[in-house]
Amino acid sequence: MLRIRRRTGTRITPPRRRTALIAGLTGLALVLAGCGDGGNGQAGGGSTQTSGVTITVALASDPPPKAALEAFTKQTGITVNWVNLDWDSLQNKISAAATANTYFADATNVDWSRVGQLGKLGWYFPMEDYVDTAAMEADVPQLASFKSDGHVVGIPYDASIMVTTVNTEMFQKAGVNPAPKTMDEYTNALRTIKSKGVVQYPLNIPFAAAEGLSTYWYEATNAFGGSVLDKDGKPQFATPDTAGYKAAQWMVDALKSGLVPPGNINVTDSQGQQTLMAKGVVASTFSDYSGTVGTLYGIKASSSVVGKVKYIKTPGVSGPAANLSNPDGIGIPKKAKYPNAAAKFIEWFTATEQQADFSGVNGPDKTMPGYPLPSHLSAVKQMTAKGNLIGGADLEPMLEGSKPVFEGGAPAWYPKFSNAVYTNLHAAATGSMSVEQAMKAISDTATQLASGS
Amino acid sequence: MSASSSTAQPTATAQPASPPAGPATGSAPVRRSRVDLLPYLLIAPVMIFIALLALVPAVTTVVQSFFRVDALDPPTRFDGFGNFVRLAGDKALLGSIGNTVFYVVVGVALSTIIGIGAAVVLQKPFRGRSLVIAVLILPWALPGAVGGVLWTGIFDPNAGLINSVLSTLHLSDGNAVLLGQNRLLTITLIELVQVWQIAPLSVLLILAVLQLIPDELYEAAQIDGCTPWSAFLRITLPLARPGIAVTMVQAVIATLNVFDQPYVLNGAANTGASVTMQTYFISFQDLDFGGGYALSLLITLVTLVISLGVIRLVYRRVEL
Repeated sequence: MLRIRRRTGTRITPPRRRTALIAGLTGLALVLAGCGDGGNGQAGGGSTQTSGVTITVALASDPPPKAALEAFTKQTGITVNWVNLDWDSLQNKISAAATANTYFADATNVDWSRVGQLGKLGWYFPMEDYVDTAAMEADVPQLASFKSDGHVVGIPYDASIMVTTVNTEMFQKAGVNPAPKTMDEYTNALRTIKSKGVVQYPLNIPFAAAEGLSTYWYEATNAFGGSVLDKDGKPQFATPDTAGYKAAQWMVDALKSGLVPPGNINVTDSQGQQTLMAKGVVASTFSDYSGTVGTLYGIKASSSVVGKVKYIKTPGVSGPAANLSNPDGIGIPKKAKYPNAAAKFIEWFTATEQQADFSGVNGPDKTMPGYPLPSHLSAVKQMTAKGNLIGGADLEPMLEGSKPVFEGGAPAWYPKFSNAVYTNLHAAATGSMSVEQAMKAISDTATQLASGS
Repeated sequence: MSASSSTAQPTATAQPASPPAGPATGSAPVRRSRVDLLPYLLIAPVMIFIALLALVPAVTTVVQSFFRVDALDPPTRFDGFGNFVRLAGDKALLGSIGNTVFYVVVGVALSTIIGIGAAVVLQKPFRGRSLVIAVLILPWALPGAVGGVLWTGIFDPNAGLINSVLSTLHLSDGNAVLLGQNRLLTITLIELVQVWQIAPLSVLLILAVLQLIPDELYEAAQIDGCTPWSAFLRITLPLARPGIAVTMVQAVIATLNVFDQPYVLNGAANTGASVTMQTYFISFQDLDFGGGYALSLLITLVTLVISLGVIRLVYRRVEL
């Protein structure tokens, strides 16, 4: 019996062990393979190849029409793998990949507000090495917002600017000028609209603690005749006589005096546009985004105020103020696999003709979904001439006269600064701190960040 | 060998349960002279996965939390307790600690009470019980961010469901501010949304334990004159303690690390920000990864301490 058991054991065990060994080794191989980089050996190497390659483009946007991308592939031999990620996730991925020194995409979004940070970190190739940015400057005024230490970090692919929108019908119903030129006229007009009962709350300010609140304040500060930071990044809003302080006070007062719906304390910029302005709940958004009249307020499916909302020149202290730019750009991370191919794509993607196509100048088939406004003035002119840009006649001069939010470009510490701006302004709006305390808290943060401590 | 083996096998198969013959044949007892590698090989892939995906990052977090790892202030350098000192002076972080304490206390208590209550109701079979359980689990199956977006629509101050209902019932002018204005109301509503998401798992965990309790115990108690309430207190609760302990630990982990619900419902505002949100801001917004590591380490240690405390207080070994 024992003999049989032993013999049985010797017979059965080896195949079991062999199977287990194979299973174990296969598992190990899988694990090791999973931990590898895929073995292409190019991550971070940066091939100069510009044909027969596939590049990954990561933007917070839907892709251009398939036919357009196919035409680009046919023309260059470069295939585009388009990745559409929400803006916040995209910024995280860019930071995480760059910090981990790994490849993420060949071309990614470069937001104007991140230019200083990205410039200092050196995570992106200088675009002037790949594209003739000097020749581009005259036709792309917002290129200035993408420079850091003399280098172009990204090429603007749209020309979003902050604009003021008004529901002309509501202004006319109240018997007030639908195009007020100064902040006093504008505020009085809103008060009249409220007092005459045209709407209960005439003004939309998105007070949720999010980026939209910061940009609203920058535009309001500009309207009050100043800027938030000076060229060296020093805060310019600590005292009550400064434009930034007045702008914050004006915003908080508007909420407290009933010009702004109380619920706006937790409303973001896009929520306010979609549920308030587009639904005729409010009469005006002081700092709106260019393009909303055509892409939101003018669309029956999303708006009950079609044909009633228009852009006006942003009111200022003694006359219309310049509009601040809020554009999106595209750049090449230093860990790109195919930087030269990515540059070719960027050149194509940001070209005047392409932007005209994306904007719908040459028919709906070539339109890129959700594309706001071309960054090339010449493309905007084409749109206006062909009547493709709703409110184009108003927008064109605003775009030409637009200026960057920060004179010296967005500082490297902008994200932390912006967080301080929107959390403290939000707190002032809720009444948990005064405007004075909010301004001091933001100012202290900016001073500390600018000093590098 | 193959011939002799093939004749031997049926014998071995036919008497698999025979006791070992021992030394009766005069041979020495059978001993394994080599270590059996089979179990180790089988678990090796999983162990490597765990090591790579959990242990390595955990060790890295512990080590790096003592280093200045700031993308905007290179190079990486040893900083002792510098990160922890800076965290101690971070006003936004200190503000979020109070919110997080509230989330943990209310979230753990509510999800446990709801879990026990619903599990007791579901303990006895009834028509449609499976359907109820299936529906019950839906909120838990939703990603936190999706749940947050859903509730954003309900709480929306201008066009939300709650304000519409209140306005229709003439209980308010339809502009009641639910989130963001009042801190207590804000964190209460945020935590209710989280409880809505985590309670289903609590119910299922406790229900699983309750179903192990033999009916005979309840029958005996009933014969002895025990009321349902006494049976709940003296039979159900004591015997469900292992399940309740596990439920509470998972609730501690979920509430201490809450991110999606406050971030989606209330943005970055101090009125609802959690400690985990600060980790995100410090790491990915400020690019101060050293600070992020340090805060993550602290959160892990606090989670560990509270979880051990819960187990010590609530868990009892039960043998049925």
